[in-house]
Amino acid sequence: MKRAISLLFVAALLIGLASQFSGCAGAKGGDAAAKTYVKPGEYDKYYAFFSGGHSGQVYVYGIPSCRYLTTIPVFTPEPAKGYGYDEETKARLGGLTWGDAHHPGLSETDGDYDGRWLFINDMPNARIARISLSSFTTEEIFGPIPNLSAAHACPFPTPNTEYVFAASRFSLPVPRDKFSKVEDYAKNFNGIIAGVKVSPEGHMSLGFEILTPPFDWDLADAGKGPSHGWEFFSCYNSEMAFDSLEIKASQNEMDFVAAVDWRAAQKAVDEGKGDIIGGVPVLDPNKVKGIIYLIPTPKSPHGVDVNPTGEYICASGKLQAEVSIFSYKKMIEAIAAGKFDGEKGGIPVLKYEDVLEAKVPVGLGPLHTQFDDKGYAYTSLFLDSQIVKWKVGPPWNVADKVDIFYSVGHLMTSEGDTRHPTGEYLVSLNKIAKDRYLPLGPSHPEATQLIDLKSPKMEVLYDFPTYPEPHYAQMIRAEKLKPLKIYSLAENKNPWKIMTAEEARVERKGKRVDVYMLTIRTHFTPDIVRVAQGDTVYFHVTNLEQDQDITHGFGITFSSKNTQVDPGETKTIRWVAEKVGVNPFYCSNFCSALHQEMQGYIQVNPAGTRIASIQRPDPKKLEEVIALLKK
Amino acid sequence: MGYLGGAFSTAERRLIVLAALVLLPVFFLPVLPVWHMKLWAPQYREGLTLSIYTNTIRGDLVKINTLNHYVGMKAITASDFREFTYLPQALTGLGVCALLAALLNRRWLAILGWLVFTGFAVVMFADYAQWLYSYGHDLNPRAAIKLPTFTPPFIGYAKMANFKVLSFPGMGTVLLGLAWALGPIVVLLERRAARRKAAAAS
Repeated sequence: MKRAISLLFVAALLIGLASQFSGCAGAKGGDAAAKTYVKPGEYDKYYAFFSGGHSGQVYVYGIPSCRYLTTIPVFTPEPAKGYGYDEETKARLGGLTWGDAHHPGLSETDGDYDGRWLFINDMPNARIARISLSSFTTEEIFGPIPNLSAAHACPFPTPNTEYVFAASRFSLPVPRDKFSKVEDYAKNFNGIIAGVKVSPEGHMSLGFEILTPPFDWDLADAGKGPSHGWEFFSCYNSEMAFDSLEIKASQNEMDFVAAVDWRAAQKAVDEGKGDIIGGVPVLDPNKVKGIIYLIPTPKSPHGVDVNPTGEYICASGKLQAEVSIFSYKKMIEAIAAGKFDGEKGGIPVLKYEDVLEAKVPVGLGPLHTQFDDKGYAYTSLFLDSQIVKWKVGPPWNVADKVDIFYSVGHLMTSEGDTRHPTGEYLVSLNKIAKDRYLPLGPSHPEATQLIDLKSPKMEVLYDFPTYPEPHYAQMIRAEKLKPLKIYSLAENKNPWKIMTAEEARVERKGKRVDVYMLTIRTHFTPDIVRVAQGDTVYFHVTNLEQDQDITHGFGITFSSKNTQVDPGETKTIRWVAEKVGVNPFYCSNFCSALHQEMQGYIQVNPAGTRIASIQRPDPKKLEEVIALLKK
Repeated sequence: MGYLGGAFSTAERRLIVLAALVLLPVFFLPVLPVWHMKLWAPQYREGLTLSIYTNTIRGDLVKINTLNHYVGMKAITASDFREFTYLPQALTGLGVCALLAALLNRRWLAILGWLVFTGFAVVMFADYAQWLYSYGHDLNPRAAIKLPTFTPPFIGYAKMANFKVLSFPGMGTVLLGLAWALGPIVVLLERRAARRKAAAAS
């Protein structure tokens, strides 16, 4: 008997080990490889935009190959693309050299991605950037948004990109210059939910702000279909703790999901019902009703995600094993019937059971949910380190689970937060990489897994590292994007541009020097610049190339000055001639066979030297450039 | 009344009108290219194109000029070609001549027009060859890359440095050729008709 038991034990151990090893493999062999293979010279089916987290950037990948395509610099200076070094992008960064980019949000029309822009938040500095998907560059940074600290629930655009939102994770005394002892948190601190209007051209402006109790607003999603017009926000710390949040903010059985009627909020501001705080109109729910409601939600909910039909709001209580499904219809009925259970900070609180449609026992640590085209939802389970697939609608059951390496945070399915998900792929953005790649020292990359959704069982296809730290990502069908190949010189409206060699010159007025410079393979014109010590020199560099991928760099030795000028672009670099001597400048982007020869000199004369107010290029050189540019 | 003073039969007159009409798109509307040059390089596998019309040059001129400057080739620009100022008018003249020959029904006018057309074509092809020669031989001695002088192909394929070049006539030239060929065809038809008439008479 004893022997039989020990045999059983050994057998169990062996089976356990075997399953452990097969589990470690994660993905199957050859078949999976073929599903991610994109032939040399061919294109991926999807663009995926990964937030760069505390790198402040956006990373672009191709799906299903999982190839890294490029980095779009957003909140951080980036010398490879010369971002944040020229005067225009320097101004855009507003003196900040860091951002924590969490949530990319693609612009939408009728609830589907339209391929115009990508919005992304800078959580700590409460800013929102708009990236053009035509030029793949950051076109606008809005903020810091007044009164608001730590825009985590941000930007999550509405179905026609009417609004992007920002809600505070860390509450503050409002306005920001108001002082309060931290101990007076519950009394003096407030959360803020801001609605940021997006014009048809993409420009952002503040629409309204709503004052809330000092809860920690976490994530958001826009209503769509029947629930269009509403934005939903999750929160934790309804306990209103200001220290030891790990423990103190995890005590309540119920925190909240807030439902904001953004049309009503905008109307209230337009009717002058807002109080001017920090220079902007802020709506106080104690005084203005009908703009915001709270739905009790279990255990510090994280993700709040609206399904493709817009009927259900799926909230994941991260400290429980269930996703709570709220019905939009039930919410509206309860609001209409006035069935409230008191107020918090003037905001009416609905009853959990009045709004609840179902509870799905998904597993431990549910965080985020996205959808496919067959009526299934996919939820990330941080603690179980799994993705779970479940049926949206009766019987609300779990259909499949797949192991993740390790500890998935956000997930995205192909176009999975739109009205029409494509149901092809799921990307799991994992928080821990640990031993998944060749060891790289103590600082680890992040781990990402591509999962095939085309068959009933989820299949892990590929495993790839990303640079820290993608939080969330968005995936759009490649054919929806029509990126520029070059900037058209004819459409270059930069006031400092020049189009001909005859215009190339150095102008000196007082201590300001403007250099009107052109680049074309393979030279700068002018390439000798004479200034005096103490001059402030503005190099206005126009790249006259109109051929694809002929970018010229402009880097100055012994300085932090470097930018990249794409074909058809004009960029301005400001450099101060601090020391007498000679500074070479050169093309810092390999452009052609004679790239090494693409250089010039700045001659810094002693202060007080007489220098011509206009310097023209050498006549012989000028003649050759004129001949080259002849039309 | 000799052969030259004679007139055409209806069928032949129609063919001469056709010759004038075929010329129409080339001379009234310079929309059809007369010659193409296609260039491929390792970095330009999709190919760069030069298309010559009776009044201009189109295509990837800026790209080609930027690349050509490495070997010291002159920038190719439409304004360098005085041919573009008279080519459309000259072809218009020849087309009008064909129309007149058909309307007035004068054989001598048709033959004269055809001969001028032939001579003009020979001169223009020689002119084109001269341009090709000069682009490949009149190289800037200060150029970064010093190539032995060369002549791009007039027609057909050639390999030059890292470029492959294919030169071939465009639709304009095809139509011009068709219009030109109608001349000998008319003469041939007339002679056959004359033979048949003589056979019937005897």
